[in-house]
Amino acid sequence: MKKVRVGAGSSGWPDYKDGALDVAEHGDVDYMAFDHLAELTMAIMQNQYQKDPKRGYIPEVEPLMKGLLPIWKNKGKHIKMVSNGGGANPPECANQVLKIVKDMDLGGIKIGVITGDTIPLTKLDELEKKGFQFKNMDTGEVGLEKVRKKLLAAYVYIGADKVIEAFDQGADLVIGGRLSDNSLFIGPFMHALGWKYGDAYWDRIGSGVTVGHILECSSWSAGTCSNLWEQIEYPKGNPGFPIVEMYENGDCIVTKTPTSGGMVKVLTLMEHLVYEVHDPHNYIMPDGISDITAIKLEQMGKDKVKITKYGDAPRGKARPENLKLCVAYNDGFIAEEITVISGPKVFKMADKAHDFVLKRLDYLGLKPREVLWSLVGWDSLTGPASKARPDLEHEPPELGIRVAFKCDTREEARVCRTECGHMCWASTGVGTGFTSPPDIRPVFALWPTLIPRPEVPLKLDMVEVK
Amino acid sequence: MMANKKVKLMDICWYRSGDKGDISNIGLMAKTKKGYEIIKKEVTPARIKAHFKDWVKGDIVIYPMDNFCALEIVMFGALGGGATKTLRLDQTGKAMSVGLARMEVEIDEKDVKAVIGPPYDTMANPEK
Repeated sequence: MKKVRVGAGSSGWPDYKDGALDVAEHGDVDYMAFDHLAELTMAIMQNQYQKDPKRGYIPEVEPLMKGLLPIWKNKGKHIKMVSNGGGANPPECANQVLKIVKDMDLGGIKIGVITGDTIPLTKLDELEKKGFQFKNMDTGEVGLEKVRKKLLAAYVYIGADKVIEAFDQGADLVIGGRLSDNSLFIGPFMHALGWKYGDAYWDRIGSGVTVGHILECSSWSAGTCSNLWEQIEYPKGNPGFPIVEMYENGDCIVTKTPTSGGMVKVLTLMEHLVYEVHDPHNYIMPDGISDITAIKLEQMGKDKVKITKYGDAPRGKARPENLKLCVAYNDGFIAEEITVISGPKVFKMADKAHDFVLKRLDYLGLKPREVLWSLVGWDSLTGPASKARPDLEHEPPELGIRVAFKCDTREEARVCRTECGHMCWASTGVGTGFTSPPDIRPVFALWPTLIPRPEVPLKLDMVEVK
Repeated sequence: MMANKKVKLMDICWYRSGDKGDISNIGLMAKTKKGYEIIKKEVTPARIKAHFKDWVKGDIVIYPMDNFCALEIVMFGALGGGATKTLRLDQTGKAMSVGLARMEVEIDEKDVKAVIGPPYDTMANPEK
């Protein structure tokens, strides 16, 4: 049966670079996929691009490619690669990679550059004028009116269509912007195995979407952040990245190299298959809708898990008519301060400091939109689901007190922090609090909605070093 | 008479949580089939809501996943506005699963062994 080996190469803006190099060197892979974008990274990228047309892509792509491309050359240029590190500026990202190839004297390379996923804000206005109604997927709100003046960027999660086309045209590397994390894997599966968007293939594409979800977070499926952390080892401090051997019928084996640390177990994959999927019967991606309850995991040996069908239900359904459009807008500023207080009586001290901050905000007439008080080391991560406070004898010797403010302007946020953040001196017995607070950060908020596919024409350009 | 014993979800399940906008989702994976029967019955939207109090403002939907003996728990309005808007330290709710895992359920004393299951390192088989 036809098969293809695809390796994970990245899962964030930066990731463990050696994980990617290890997959290229020792993974015997045909393709590698590099995801660099989180939910709002594109808003940051577009902001950079608007200030400087030479920026707006993920700078980490350059050191990564400098390490990878020599391995790619040594392997006879067999490995095909796909990356969404182009961010808001895939053409410039491709230019930089071409430059690296020339500077390192690596011979020829063909790069497919995908654009069209960024939607100009004026296009949103045009669509609304034509009578199209945007509906917020989270809140149900209709129309962009309330956020229109605060809009920063708009971009569409796109599928693998153009990735496949680029590979068909002989691309060694495909660079795009908001290619969905998942499409970075679906592209290689479909290109190598001849799957098409159509009824005969939704089951297999569904399996691919599920497996793409396993791989897109790289080391997270191979032991990092696992419930099994106590027994997972990284002999050289080297987490491994997962590799999938996908078969023509949609069954596959997930594995990793023996040279890397970490672990591929039924549990490490299962942990990721229940992560951020929401309705597991309908995991919606631009290339297909998968049913994660329709697969079965079996341990075949060390670091080797087989994925097949569980029962008769199809593993996927037809891809959705609409694409997800993310509209990012500015929603004020956040300032925060953390102070570590020393006991005895840390909880009593923390309560007194809290009371002091609230009184002082009132006294100075400051009105942040939101204030959050939390105890680092006690309840900052889980709020009301934290443990009950202990008695004096069992309380911790020290505790972090943290206050965070959200304000409309950077200046208001700054004033709240400087006037009310340094709370420890007035309310506690020991004047700790020596660190610089984190920078005040702008809030990039998200207005998720849908847009019909025909409104998002994509473009593929091929560039090369001969 | 049946003797009941309280166990924490963290003793009978594995867990991982993540986010999408202001939605927190928790994957709660029972270590054993018996444990799956128990969490399917005991871990309800009402109990979860009572556990997280005002940290979860919206609805809670639970999808059982028989193939993994797991529950996919989707909590709306659960992250203080979502990753970039929230004032919480854990912006993407990665620790929400730990919060849930502190919840206690009552089980029959005679089932304790079957529910807590074999130690981690023998666990490889999804059939449990």
